[in-house]
Amino acid sequence: MSIQKIIRQFEPEQHNLLNILHALQNSSSGNYLSKEAMEETARYLGLTKASVYGVATYYTMFSLKPRGRFIIRICVSPVCELMKVDIIIKQIESILDIKVGETSSDRLFTLELSECLGQCQKAPSMMVNDRVYKCLGKDSIKEIIEKYRQKAKLN
Amino acid sequence: MDKTISLYIDGKKISVKSGLNLLQAAKENSIDIPHLCYHKKLSPTGACRLCIVKIKGQKGLIASCTVRAEDGMEVTAFDEELEEARKYLLDYLLSEHDESRDATYRDEFRELVLRYGLGEKKNRKFAPIWKHIGYPKDNSSPVLTYDAAKCIKCFRCIKACDEVQGKNVLSFTKRGIASYITGGFEKWSESECDGCGECIQLCPTGAIVEKPHRGEINFEKEHKKVRTTCPYCGVGCQLELIVQDGRIVRANGAEGVSPNDGRLCVKGRFGCDYVNHPERLKVPLIKKGGRFVEAGWDEALDLVADKFNETIKKHGKKALAGYASAKTTNEDNYLFMKFIRTVFGNNNVDYCTRLCHASTVTAMLRSLGDGAGSNSIEDYENSDCILVTGNNMTETHPVTATFVKHAAQRKGARIIIIDPKWTPLVKESHIWLQPGLGTDVALLNGMIRVIIEEDLIDRRFIKKRVKGGMQALDELRALTAKYTPEYVEKVCGVPADLMQKAARIYAGARRPLIATGMGYSQQLTGTHNVFCLINMMLISGQIGRKGAGINPPRGQNNVQGVSDVGASPFTYPGYVPVGDDENRRKIAGIWGVPYEELDPEKGLSTIEIMQAAYRGEIRAMYIMGENPMLTDPNLNHTEEAIKKLDFLVVQDIFHTETTALADVVLPATSFAESEGTFVNSDRRVLRVRRAVDPPGQARQDWEIIAEIAEKMGRPLGKYRSESEIWDEIARTSPIFAGISYDRLEEKGIQWPCTSSEHPGTSTLFEEKFNTPDGLGRLHPVDYAEQSEKSGSEYPYILNTGRILYQYHSSTMSRRNSSLNQFANEAYVLVHPEDAKKQGLSDKMKVDISSRRGTVRSVAVKISTDVLEGELFMPFHYAEAPVNRLTRDELDPYSKIAPFKLSAVRLEAAK
Repeated sequence: MSIQKIIRQFEPEQHNLLNILHALQNSSSGNYLSKEAMEETARYLGLTKASVYGVATYYTMFSLKPRGRFIIRICVSPVCELMKVDIIIKQIESILDIKVGETSSDRLFTLELSECLGQCQKAPSMMVNDRVYKCLGKDSIKEIIEKYRQKAKLN
Repeated sequence: MDKTISLYIDGKKISVKSGLNLLQAAKENSIDIPHLCYHKKLSPTGACRLCIVKIKGQKGLIASCTVRAEDGMEVTAFDEELEEARKYLLDYLLSEHDESRDATYRDEFRELVLRYGLGEKKNRKFAPIWKHIGYPKDNSSPVLTYDAAKCIKCFRCIKACDEVQGKNVLSFTKRGIASYITGGFEKWSESECDGCGECIQLCPTGAIVEKPHRGEINFEKEHKKVRTTCPYCGVGCQLELIVQDGRIVRANGAEGVSPNDGRLCVKGRFGCDYVNHPERLKVPLIKKGGRFVEAGWDEALDLVADKFNETIKKHGKKALAGYASAKTTNEDNYLFMKFIRTVFGNNNVDYCTRLCHASTVTAMLRSLGDGAGSNSIEDYENSDCILVTGNNMTETHPVTATFVKHAAQRKGARIIIIDPKWTPLVKESHIWLQPGLGTDVALLNGMIRVIIEEDLIDRRFIKKRVKGGMQALDELRALTAKYTPEYVEKVCGVPADLMQKAARIYAGARRPLIATGMGYSQQLTGTHNVFCLINMMLISGQIGRKGAGINPPRGQNNVQGVSDVGASPFTYPGYVPVGDDENRRKIAGIWGVPYEELDPEKGLSTIEIMQAAYRGEIRAMYIMGENPMLTDPNLNHTEEAIKKLDFLVVQDIFHTETTALADVVLPATSFAESEGTFVNSDRRVLRVRRAVDPPGQARQDWEIIAEIAEKMGRPLGKYRSESEIWDEIARTSPIFAGISYDRLEEKGIQWPCTSSEHPGTSTLFEEKFNTPDGLGRLHPVDYAEQSEKSGSEYPYILNTGRILYQYHSSTMSRRNSSLNQFANEAYVLVHPEDAKKQGLSDKMKVDISSRRGTVRSVAVKISTDVLEGELFMPFHYAEAPVNRLTRDELDPYSKIAPFKLSAVRLEAAK
């Protein structure tokens, strides 16, 4: 769907800004907000560019850079830290050969950090796109990543 | 209303008017509670926490900017705990802050750092961390630089842009300690920023600074501040010029004074560089053998005096004429007018108002008895409906537009725009009616019909305030009967339901204000357009109170004043007709001339003077600060007319297209070198003060005029100062009778001001109109088709107008590099459908021709801002003189020319 079409699914009311940005990001192949997408949104809602940009850069769920198909968000809140999430991060970095904030060369994964996911009782935890994974350990990480690689192959 | 309350701060009793916040209440009583994010023009933010106080009966430390001062409050503003907390906060803030600075701005943060003994690093608890954050710098704007490392995130710039200017261009990006301000997507030059610089003026730390003159400003060295009035449009913004080493290095808006309360537009803030431009005229010039030769004042003025005298002798008094100037002061224009009437001995004096609001003024004078705006500029904020007709105020009167935007954005006023062309104010509007060019009378008659049919009229008002009462209404009803919504839609192309809705909103509003501009006045039916507006206003009773009336914003700084002081072929100072015997007798007495010598016959108006010159009836002309060779309609004709003159004197600050044709050119002072007064659009007499010395031998206009008169053997009188000239103006014009320079020291006064005790008048017509019987008049007028139409040979209708960054014939504005960086090229707006039909693309060059002439090589801008079949061109650019295309056919009532409507064709440039 074109940017215009996605935007026009919403009423031109300012309170729709976040919904529009999510819709645009979710439908973009790079999982991000392009300059054009933000410009069109501003025009449609009668906002200035900076108003849209301010919102898009405030929320960490939005990215202005193209990202992988699967976004891994690892919780770095105190409980997960206590449960040695740093080891998990290093492991993912090594499997995917990227650093936090980067996207794997096959453009499948982007690794990001996150504030508390509310899963402290089963820390450390992370999300891949909309799914939450808990009680992470060396083996489960490998499995999860492999599962998504297979998923990508299937479609 | 304004109740006074008393409270105690640190045991001291203070009294303030109720409604203030606690910090402001303290400030107004010289209690200096520290603060950074607070500014009295902005809503309190409470971000810096420095204004914390303790309030008896309330818990904790409270930011005083966020609480209302209440009667009986007991406040502690300074104790050890509060001072420690403030010091801690400042120290913390410092660690995120780049302290490097230059002396080009007031650094409020540094002042507090020093006040709390944090100047020395050893007194600080926190180490600097700002370098590790990696704050960016945005240097992309033509007029300003933003340095995030100097920013304390106080929100003042964001609120300045949003709350004060109504633009909301700025925002925060990122979060927490890493956040900073952004324009656009972190590139200011690609944002919607139009360069007004309100953010610069309100920035407390120098994080946002202007670019021009950075190398020259040094507040640690001697400098002076001069309060004066902006030389651009007719809003009359109060400027504070900073002068260093004899040059203007900065213009700030003067805070706390009407009409602008510190606000400026890009021209006011960044448009003063022309004053010091090397091309300023510095010595008198005499044309000898086809080229200009420098001359002394005596030689030049002797020649002028001889030639004028010779013309009177050879061709009679009526063979001379003068153009006064809306750029120069009231004092200059008053003496110019006196010169024409007593030295030339006729009434052939006029100026650019004839090309501007003459039709509006004519209609208003006939219907209401006064041609000036009925309400104050700031009164737009009190309106609940603003009807904007043919008026691109966001670009032409940007500071007035801020009040309109406030009304819409913050107070829910509904804005109705009538304009065939898109203007930025459309974004704020409730309804935008887009009638085809020249069909306004039909549209307004349609709206009037709706108001009468649906009984939205104000019977009491009509019976009490309108001549003929309900009978006059019946005549209007009969005339407008045929303007059914269907008929109006057919003629104007405006959807019937929108037109009806607009009429209902206007008539039903409690306080609607009309802002009418050039789109309505510069037509052959200009006077009729405004008659219709006034008809609509009178039958719905929408004038004569705060927030309701009609305001035609004046285009130039002193258009209003020049008419007020009588530089008109039809009226003496204070709008007394030239034919009024009693007034002429009175004026003759004041001037000390025989009454018989004052010509009782009306003089020629602006375009009529040119037409008479063309016919050889006017032989010599004196032009002060006008450039008819760019601004008159049908320029080819104007050029021939001027060339037929035996003798032309032009007095100006730069060479113009007109000085090129002069025999003598006299160098005059700019606003910054002049003393005197201007009158702005809302009748406010405002002081103009000398900030710098004139360049070379340039002299103030009135001095030159007086000396020519002297040399012609008809002295105008002895004046030692501008203030003495003003006092004479006050004696000749009842509307100014109570105004003197001492009363103007702090702020302007709105006429009429009839005695030295009179406070001035912010709203006209509250009790009665200024007509002889005090009643308003309806002038029912029918729609007539335009004489000039598009057809096969000339398929488009061309509209002309102004843009934000340039000003009139751009003699001044184009001599500012800042303004030129925003806009320095002529263009023609073409609708995408027309572009398709003609195979035109963006930036392609076209020749534009009308029955009068051709303008070559103009860049195309494809835009839906114009209707299909219509074009728009700004008139500022000498290389694309659009007035070679316009007509000098005149509106029979006001003698205005139809700049807004010419049939033209487009061809790819040859």
